[in-house]
Amino acid sequence: MFLKILIAGDGGQGVQTIADIISKASFQKNWEVSFIPNYGLEQRGGVSLAFIQISDTKINYPKFSKADILVILSEQARGRVENYKQTETKIFDYKDFADILRENKIGEKSLNIFALGWLVKILKEQKILEADMVNLLLEEKLGLKDIWDDNKWAYKVGLQ
Amino acid sequence: MQNNKKLATGHEAVVEACFDAGAKMMYGYPITPTTEVFTGWIKKGGDYLQTEDEIAAGFAVCGGVIAGQKAFTATAGPGHVLMQDALSMAEGMRLPFVAIIGQRGGPSSGTVIYSQQEVTLACFGGNGEGLRLVYSPATIEELYSLTRTAFNSAWKYQYPTIVLSDGYLLKSRGVFEADKTIENVESYPLVKEGQQKHWRNIFTFEEELNEEVVRNKKDWESIKNEVVRSENYQTEDAEILLVAHGIVGGAAKDAVNELRKNGQKVGLFRPITLRPFANEAFDKIAMRVKKIVIVESSLGQLAQIVRAEMAPEISTPIDYIQYPGLGIEAEKIVEYFK
Amino acid sequence: MQQENAAKFCAGCGYSVILMILNQVLAAQNVQDKAVMGLDIGCSLLGWNYLPINTFQTHHGRVVPTMLGYKRAKKDSISVAVVGDGGAYAIGWQSLFYAARRDEPITVIVVNNSVYAMTGGQTAPTTVCGQKTDTHPAGSREESFYGPEILKTIVKPGAYLARSAANDPKGIFAALEKAVQTQKAGHFSLVEILSFCPTNWRTTGKATFDYLENLKKIYKIGEV
Repeated sequence: MFLKILIAGDGGQGVQTIADIISKASFQKNWEVSFIPNYGLEQRGGVSLAFIQISDTKINYPKFSKADILVILSEQARGRVENYKQTETKIFDYKDFADILRENKIGEKSLNIFALGWLVKILKEQKILEADMVNLLLEEKLGLKDIWDDNKWAYKVGLQ
Repeated sequence: MQNNKKLATGHEAVVEACFDAGAKMMYGYPITPTTEVFTGWIKKGGDYLQTEDEIAAGFAVCGGVIAGQKAFTATAGPGHVLMQDALSMAEGMRLPFVAIIGQRGGPSSGTVIYSQQEVTLACFGGNGEGLRLVYSPATIEELYSLTRTAFNSAWKYQYPTIVLSDGYLLKSRGVFEADKTIENVESYPLVKEGQQKHWRNIFTFEEELNEEVVRNKKDWESIKNEVVRSENYQTEDAEILLVAHGIVGGAAKDAVNELRKNGQKVGLFRPITLRPFANEAFDKIAMRVKKIVIVESSLGQLAQIVRAEMAPEISTPIDYIQYPGLGIEAEKIVEYFK
Repeated sequence: MQQENAAKFCAGCGYSVILMILNQVLAAQNVQDKAVMGLDIGCSLLGWNYLPINTFQTHHGRVVPTMLGYKRAKKDSISVAVVGDGGAYAIGWQSLFYAARRDEPITVIVVNNSVYAMTGGQTAPTTVCGQKTDTHPAGSREESFYGPEILKTIVKPGAYLARSAANDPKGIFAALEKAVQTQKAGHFSLVEILSFCPTNWRTTGKATFDYLENLKKIYKIGEV
């Protein structure tokens, strides 16, 4: 099993937050994991990318050129990650979920957590992760923030 | 967890290794991508000083090791350039100076991100003869174990010793198991109380310097076999030999696996020490393959070393895959073979 | 312990006297074994085997950070950095400034002869305005460089800064003694000593003394 996940958004959307949770959860399930953020000069703004690999064998290189799963959280990010698509890539495009987000009153600040739910659903189906484990990590990381309820809700909706 | 596996970044692995190695003092200056080695060391309670620049950091390390302290520093890019003054003194005076270097794009301020463009600087920087020990880790696990080894080699053999990593490896997070069975070489003062040691690094006559340098080179040759490290990956029946170090060596392994699936007999020689270079191990394979392909994120800094070290009788053709300042995934290497 | 090796300094150089007095101070304080002398690269390097104490050369402008590193590693040592005016106030100024600012408990001895002597007498920060050298044939244009006075504005209480002159051995002894005591008390100390350089001043006999006396008018003797 070898899965390559690329998460892309604007700086501040919480790309690294969900990448952190996915990598920790994968490690807890005894998978080999690799996670590297992109980074540049600016302290704020710009595009934020997270390259995650989950495997049952040792991972030799922290980056990849084609993703199995691609999560796009902003327009700026979309442009950056066009080349990582393959025909089989599963794509989360935030635009496609505009209606669902609106109906469920999921705000911009919880978009990343909604995406996390979507991602975890796939990983659950492929028997890579369990939703509860991720839930725990999620709570650990964000439980103390004011918008926890919004996030909890966003995650739940995303999972469906 | 039953085993000792942990999820950690490259920085964290380095910091853990420095503590486990018995390092006592870090002199540093913030510079991407090694700032987190400094702040990580500080967070874990290590003794430290942030100096006004890398020059002061380097010379303070020299002072510390002369007094017998396991002092070290970490820097990158332009800081690595400044560090050469201190590294030269360490080379001239045989000081157990340990530096963690995180390669970033160069020259000048370049990028803060990644490259393999500081190989020449690490191996041959300063105004010396490259009598430094240089280790190039390919994984987080190797970052840990080679940092441990660096401290041991520095204090055992008395040469400035560099762990030459890069921005990607340091920033990436992965699963690693620290080898806690490694034993430490203890430090010792190079100048003892009451010794009246009179120690110079400048000589009046050419002959005096020549003697000193020749002697240091002789020592170097005598320890070479104990220090060199390299890895052969699927080289036994290889017809084409990839040569790559650091994380590009990691990508090259994946490339070998992929190419072998298509029936191509490709193998990898991965130098783990760049100085000294494992030329004997390399030559054995180089002489029987049909072609050598040297892969690196620079315009030939690894290739220069390989060609210089390769036995002159070996006439195997050499080709190059060079992406200065750019990461090299397995796919890029596989593409070359199409 | 007596100073044993023959001096390699030029005839008339202030270094031999200054280092001998340093040795006397260390002997009087009973710290010769604990003492370590770092030398900058300049004429100071010639003192590498001059005194019966541990001595090592460093790099030009780098003796101060080296000696603070030594001291931090061996806190019971007496760490002394010997450097010329160029090494202290030009190439090594930044590290000297910060060592003083941080109150590093080392003793810096700046031997000030107002030129880059070893390389033939080029302009130094302390070269007098208007003085002609090979690198300023029309005369240097900057004002005098008052090292200890500038450092005075940034050192911590307990630090000791002073200036002495090579023709005042008693003054040198007193200043160096106070400096070592300051180090023992855990603070930064710097003694600038105006020094002779007949070779590069191109003076002989009385003219050499006059030159020094003139420097004393510009650079005030005493505690700063």
